[in-house]
Amino acid sequence: MRRSNSAALLVGLLALLVLVWTLAPVAWMVVSSFKPTPAIKTASPTWLFEPTLEHYRDLIGAGNDVRPFARNSLLAAGLSTALAVGLGALGGYGLAHWHHKSKKHLAFWIISTRMAPIAAVILPLFILFRQLGLIDSIAGLTLAYLSFNLPFAIWLMSAFFADVPPSLEEAARVDGCSRWQAFWYVVLPTTTPGLVTTGVLCLVFSWNDYAFASSFSGPGSQTLPMAAGRLITQGGVDWGQLTALGTIIVLPMIFAGLAVRRWLVTGLTMGAVTGE
Amino acid sequence: MKRAGPSFEMRMMLPALLVLASLSLIPFVTLIVMSFSHVKLMGGIRFENAALENWHRLIEDADVRSSWVTSLVYFALTLGVEMASGIVFALVLHRVGRGRNLLLALAIVPMFMAPIVVGLLGRFLTDSTLGLYAWALRILGFEGDLLAGKTSALLTVIGMDVWEWTPLVALVTFAGLSAVPAPLVEAAAVDGAGYFQTLRYIVFPQIRRVLLVALLVRAMDAIRFFDIITITTNGGPADATKIIPVRLYETAFRFRELGYASVIGILMLAFSILMANAFVRVLGEKGLTR
Repeated sequence: MRRSNSAALLVGLLALLVLVWTLAPVAWMVVSSFKPTPAIKTASPTWLFEPTLEHYRDLIGAGNDVRPFARNSLLAAGLSTALAVGLGALGGYGLAHWHHKSKKHLAFWIISTRMAPIAAVILPLFILFRQLGLIDSIAGLTLAYLSFNLPFAIWLMSAFFADVPPSLEEAARVDGCSRWQAFWYVVLPTTTPGLVTTGVLCLVFSWNDYAFASSFSGPGSQTLPMAAGRLITQGGVDWGQLTALGTIIVLPMIFAGLAVRRWLVTGLTMGAVTGE
Repeated sequence: MKRAGPSFEMRMMLPALLVLASLSLIPFVTLIVMSFSHVKLMGGIRFENAALENWHRLIEDADVRSSWVTSLVYFALTLGVEMASGIVFALVLHRVGRGRNLLLALAIVPMFMAPIVVGLLGRFLTDSTLGLYAWALRILGFEGDLLAGKTSALLTVIGMDVWEWTPLVALVTFAGLSAVPAPLVEAAAVDGAGYFQTLRYIVFPQIRRVLLVALLVRAMDAIRFFDIITITTNGGPADATKIIPVRLYETAFRFRELGYASVIGILMLAFSILMANAFVRVLGEKGLTR
């Protein structure tokens, strides 16, 4: 009895430690974004202060208007996600049902494009985009994001499609559906969780990107992470605005990610670890 | 009756494959060509034949070699610490009774954060004049700027990556733990096995494959990303954190030597293909995507 009590206490303490380690930085960022500047710039941390919205206001007003950055982020990440989910659903279904001796090679090729190091992909894309006039354009960023979102979407959707019982499709076929109709009206709706999970993860990946955005964008297409990078200057850092902007960038993706938590393991391992 | 032409499955895949091919094969060929060229950007893009010059240069380049060493240290430490602490996190959270789901949800918050924000937040926390962590360290007797020392800078950027991605390992391990059949664990307890014995002989063998997948997924991303380092140390101080992607980026966009950078990129690519191969092979054990 006593032993199990102290074990429970130990587990509780360790769990608390885990939470402090993961949440303290995020909490400190969010709290700091509401602090007046003098309360941020102190050698020992300020715990009590009068909350202010000035840093958020600074991000909308005058010199540091982040609204165009937010629009670019939404457009590029949104478009890329939509394309990846659409093409990925078709491709994923095809891959899940395609039985051919080269299937393994095809699957390997798809996954290897997702794993290509970003720094190495940027080089040729930079040249190609320069040639095609895609530098500093939303279309360019969308395509760049698609280069990692699409292979991910194909794999993940194929994992979701593989879990749909074949009898479902067979029944639809017996009822006279064409293969496309069976896919569109019967199979696809059953994978709604897959579509949503794929979409959310693609959105997170592209929303969070900095490497592609900093290489391909210009004045007309900079995204929110770039706005954050720009707040660090030689003259010092405006930590008030930076913590506010960080909060704005991070919170929507945290909520989106937590919304699909049930399927996250499947998603983050591209279906390699399913419920089993 | 089989119709002629591509199968339904192939036709479903075709649009995605065409887009993917143009986004990967064309750049890949371009990368190869670039590695044998001097790439001029001024006044329109021109490739001048450089034969093997870029490749020869690589052989003698001690800077690139040291970047590979840094990369491997970074790689080994990041993966090692993330796996170890992720497994511990998962074991702890798994033993929590009430509120387990809420705890798990809170514990995975970092991995949805943009790496650039993680890097900036790291700078904020370790800033020697106003950082929360710098203050805590001062109380413990450490003075100075973490990102300024060679060893401490490398450890600090590793710490940031570990902070962001340990939750992923924990989440995947947790899923593995939940799938271990309870009767197995109970039987071990009945037989008098202690907690660690049960872990060693019953639980770990059961979740081995899950752990391997987590390791490979993290390994693939650890070679890909460099946002955190770019925004915190940008490779410094004195090249202490100049892992290979940072070196590549600098060679290409600061020194404008895109041809030579391509050679470095091709080697990175080869490395990542090995990882991808391992990943697919592990999946192959249970029949790749069935």
